[in-house]
Amino acid sequence: MKNGRILTGIYGLDDLMDGGFRKNTINSIYGGPGVGKTTFALQYSLFGLDRGEKVLYVSFEMSEQQIIRDCTDIGWGIVKDYIEEGDLKILHIFGEDLEFPSLDITEIIKKSISGHNPRIVIDPFTYPTFYSDKEKRKSISTIFQDLRTLGTTIVVLEEPADGATSTNTTGTGEIQTNNKALSMPLYLSDTVLFLQNLGFGEMYDRTIRIMKHRGSKHGEGIYPYSIETGLGIVLRASKKQIERVMPKTKFDERFVKAIEKTRSMGELGNILAARIEILRKNWVHDEDPQQILEMVIEQEKK
Amino acid sequence: MIIKLEDTLDQLYEIEGIEACMLYRIDGVPITLRAPGYREDLLETMFWLEKHIRRVLGEMNREGLKETIFYFRNSRILIAPSSKSTVLVTIAKGEANQQLISLEALRATRIIEACVA
Repeated sequence: MKNGRILTGIYGLDDLMDGGFRKNTINSIYGGPGVGKTTFALQYSLFGLDRGEKVLYVSFEMSEQQIIRDCTDIGWGIVKDYIEEGDLKILHIFGEDLEFPSLDITEIIKKSISGHNPRIVIDPFTYPTFYSDKEKRKSISTIFQDLRTLGTTIVVLEEPADGATSTNTTGTGEIQTNNKALSMPLYLSDTVLFLQNLGFGEMYDRTIRIMKHRGSKHGEGIYPYSIETGLGIVLRASKKQIERVMPKTKFDERFVKAIEKTRSMGELGNILAARIEILRKNWVHDEDPQQILEMVIEQEKK
Repeated sequence: MIIKLEDTLDQLYEIEGIEACMLYRIDGVPITLRAPGYREDLLETMFWLEKHIRRVLGEMNREGLKETIFYFRNSRILIAPSSKSTVLVTIAKGEANQQLISLEALRATRIIEACVA
């Protein structure tokens, strides 16, 4: 963990995500078949395990043997040692067996976790069945609230196999999905990463897009990645793309002047000055903030 | 490869008369772009492109076209596929040297293809 952030373990991703996942959050990995969702989840787990953290991996699909085999194939045979040492616990359960998902999932996880603030993975979260839409939202919300108190969780969400038609991204970066069962966890998650593979075998076919990252600065482009044996997922963002997420100091003078101006506005001005100071520290744009600052000050004067 | 791709777009954007150049994925998702600060007319064009690029490319493929040109207001929009999954869009002023821009855009598509394919 660095600066209250949980490092994702995905090479090249943390720089674009303000340092990684926030502690005690729900982070959804969303994508179609074969994009690398499980690899992402395993890489996240392995990164923590290598640093002495505990991991609980709840699998609604693959058995422990399957996970070990897949890890060995990609060059992560060490997971077997972590399982034997008790650092990695894999739970293989069937969604259909859960009578009350919101109660059962968290109870099972609570009973199984060890260590402080472990990494938790639920792969895939699509399986637990819920009775009605109303009940579903409440259930997912309850599960997520409980999970937040237990650790930092990755939830794997499957896009339907006919994903090309059921899910689209708009120019504003919003996921438009026709599947209500899928959209709900996306809305309730703290972070949503959208993995895509167009299947032409070109550089920009496999891409990650950070759709949402609550309370954090994050890259807004699409970033190509590849899955390398031995390493896992490797992102290839350009230096320019990374720089776009980094705060810029070249307009500091403008901010300082604006802060001085607002301080003369009395008590309200002091509140605004504090906000502008936060903005200064987080200004990632290459554009001059002058116009925005003037507009904000005028509005706040009213 | 990404550096070369970014450099190619930088060089294209420097040509006089080019207002913006964007590399889109064929599903309409912008990969990287060069454009001036806030310009409402350019934004409108970009939103239009994101919505329609897939359909335009389908038509181009059907007709066997290497490039397609649209005219919006005083802008000339050149759409040229750069690989199986990417397409280069250049927005130029109406009075710019169109022949030069077409040649440079097509040259850029070949470099982009070498980078991404």
